[in-house]
Amino acid sequence: MRKRIYYWTASEHINEPVISDTILNTGVKINILKAKVEPQEAFLILELFGSKETIEKALDYLSKFGEVEEISKVIKRDSEKCVHCGCCITQCPINAIYMDEEYNVVFKEEECVGCKNCMKACPFKAIEIIE
Amino acid sequence: MKTIKEINEKIKKGEAVVVTAEEMIKIVEEEGAKRAADYVDVVTTGTFGAMCSSGVFINFGHSDPPIKMLKIYLNNVEAYGGLAAVDTYIGATQPNEDPDVDIDYGGAHVIEDLVRGKEVELYAEGYTTDCYPRKDVNVKITLDDVNQAIMVNPRNGYQTYAAATNSRDEKIYTYMGILLPEYNNVHYSGAGQLNPLQNDYNPETKSFNTIGIGTRIFLGGGIGYVIGEGTQHNPPFGTLMVKGDLKQMDPKFIRAATMPRYGSTLYVGLGIPIPVLNEKIAERCAIRDEDIEVPIYDYGTPRRDRPLIAKTNYKVLRSGKITLRVNIDGKEIEKTVKTGSVSSYKMAREVAETLKQWILDGKFLLTERVDTLGRAEYKPMKSPITLVKDVLSKPPITAQSNISIMEAAKILIKHNINHLPIVDEYGRLVGIITSWDIAKALAQNKKTIEEIMTRNVITAHEDEPVDHVARKMSKHNISGVPVVDDYRRVVGIITSEDISRLFGGKK
Ligand code: SF4
Ligand code: SF4
Repeated sequence: MRKRIYYWTASEHINEPVISDTILNTGVKINILKAKVEPQEAFLILELFGSKETIEKALDYLSKFGEVEEISKVIKRDSEKCVHCGCCITQCPINAIYMDEEYNVVFKEEECVGCKNCMKACPFKAIEIIE
Repeated sequence: MKTIKEINEKIKKGEAVVVTAEEMIKIVEEEGAKRAADYVDVVTTGTFGAMCSSGVFINFGHSDPPIKMLKIYLNNVEAYGGLAAVDTYIGATQPNEDPDVDIDYGGAHVIEDLVRGKEVELYAEGYTTDCYPRKDVNVKITLDDVNQAIMVNPRNGYQTYAAATNSRDEKIYTYMGILLPEYNNVHYSGAGQLNPLQNDYNPETKSFNTIGIGTRIFLGGGIGYVIGEGTQHNPPFGTLMVKGDLKQMDPKFIRAATMPRYGSTLYVGLGIPIPVLNEKIAERCAIRDEDIEVPIYDYGTPRRDRPLIAKTNYKVLRSGKITLRVNIDGKEIEKTVKTGSVSSYKMAREVAETLKQWILDGKFLLTERVDTLGRAEYKPMKSPITLVKDVLSKPPITAQSNISIMEAAKILIKHNINHLPIVDEYGRLVGIITSWDIAKALAQNKKTIEEIMTRNVITAHEDEPVDHVARKMSKHNISGVPVVDDYRRVVGIITSEDISRLFGGKK
């Protein structure tokens, strides 16, 4: 399975290889989607891959050095604004947007990596990427 | 054979059989066109897409003291001031005058705001006369405050719209959305089997079965009329000129949009009822997506006549992917790429459904046209064009990368030039150095041409329009571009001086 999280580490852990240790200690796979490191704090968006147990172990481990918050959604689409045109479909590098049989434009939210391409392409400004 | 009058009688009694063009496909497939013509009275069509050629005539009523408005702005978007004292026409694609707002708010957005009942700021200036002593006016107005707001769209409801792809090695931003490099997507527009003109077309006579001047239609959620053929009308690329009352419209079917880095446009919902008067009309109303041919053009070529890449149909386009045979770097390859729509088929369906419901409810009667659509005419503008080959400096002065920086400097001085393309032994471009690079080499103590040359050179082709090269130079902030042939051999150079000389000479 896969899980996306926001992760804040406190300043005293910034110079420690927390992410690498998490991978080595729990066997989880981690994709870093975003990382912003400042003197007082580091903020990351991480994507964890593994079995349910490994992911739980990884989350436990990460929690020792900072704060974990699960992300359920990265894309937010305003359903009032979206007219289901489809200008965004071809912009998605991982095919997370498609048109279904009823001609609705559908977002597979769990696959989105937050690249913002669809957001930039939408003529109606219907898409927001939550950061 | 039925008449429109008979159909209207049935509608009034609530006995008319009304189906959408999508439903008609099934009926004709299963029961044949003859039986369908016997019992189906009306087929409703619909389309919902970007229709740039749209706008609204507004009459604001007179101020006290009165003003003859000349420069007119609605929420900072300029509207046409060449009409009578307090009339104007606001076009959908007019950009905002305020550079901070840029293209994200234009004429289309003003129109949508009005339909939504929002307040819009009117600012107008005029010159004073004996009857119009006032110089300017600045007030907030809503749609309720103005007298008439009449939407008149010179070109709506294209019968077929060509699809777009892009051969260039960079993204381009077009009215067909964002086109990815190297043919990596195809964008298309249009409702295909639900399209009004498509369902009413007679390919033999190249004319329309029932639509004409005076046809009552669904426009933006209200009732409108066809008032003639649209501009560029050229069946099977027919277009319509339509009008409707903005005060009746629904923001669901009139939506402002901004095509990224292109500009504002208005998405318009347009639906037309087709009276099924005979078998021929019934048969045409069963046209399917796969029956409608759509050409795909290369929008990467900034010319009027864009190269045709392939021909396809709406069914393939709606499947989400298409296989193209394209030429990349001189190699012919097959490529399967994603297709994306620019218009909304879901909303087109909703237009056709809503119109169907209106007719079933007896709220909407059909009209007899008073005349057929006018003359087809679509020809290019007689405009002068200057190609790179007309202005390029020849013969090219080039050098190979084994010369010293000193030698390069001498070449620049001897020929009084600023750009020196660096080529390999076959004359193919590998880099470029400018006098600035040489100055920098001196300051930084660099020794070889290889160290100082720019490798990712922006180039031009002999057959490219000069305007396009000028845009490239300003975009990349450079002052000279080597001109290369199909094998990347340098055949000349074009500089900003060449271009300014050209424009200077013309005036
Ligand atoms: S481009 Fe915008 S309006 Fe069109 S389908 Fe995507 S999200 Fe919806
Ligand atoms: S943000 Fe990027 S990955 Fe996510 S849906 Fe949009 S285009 Fe796809």
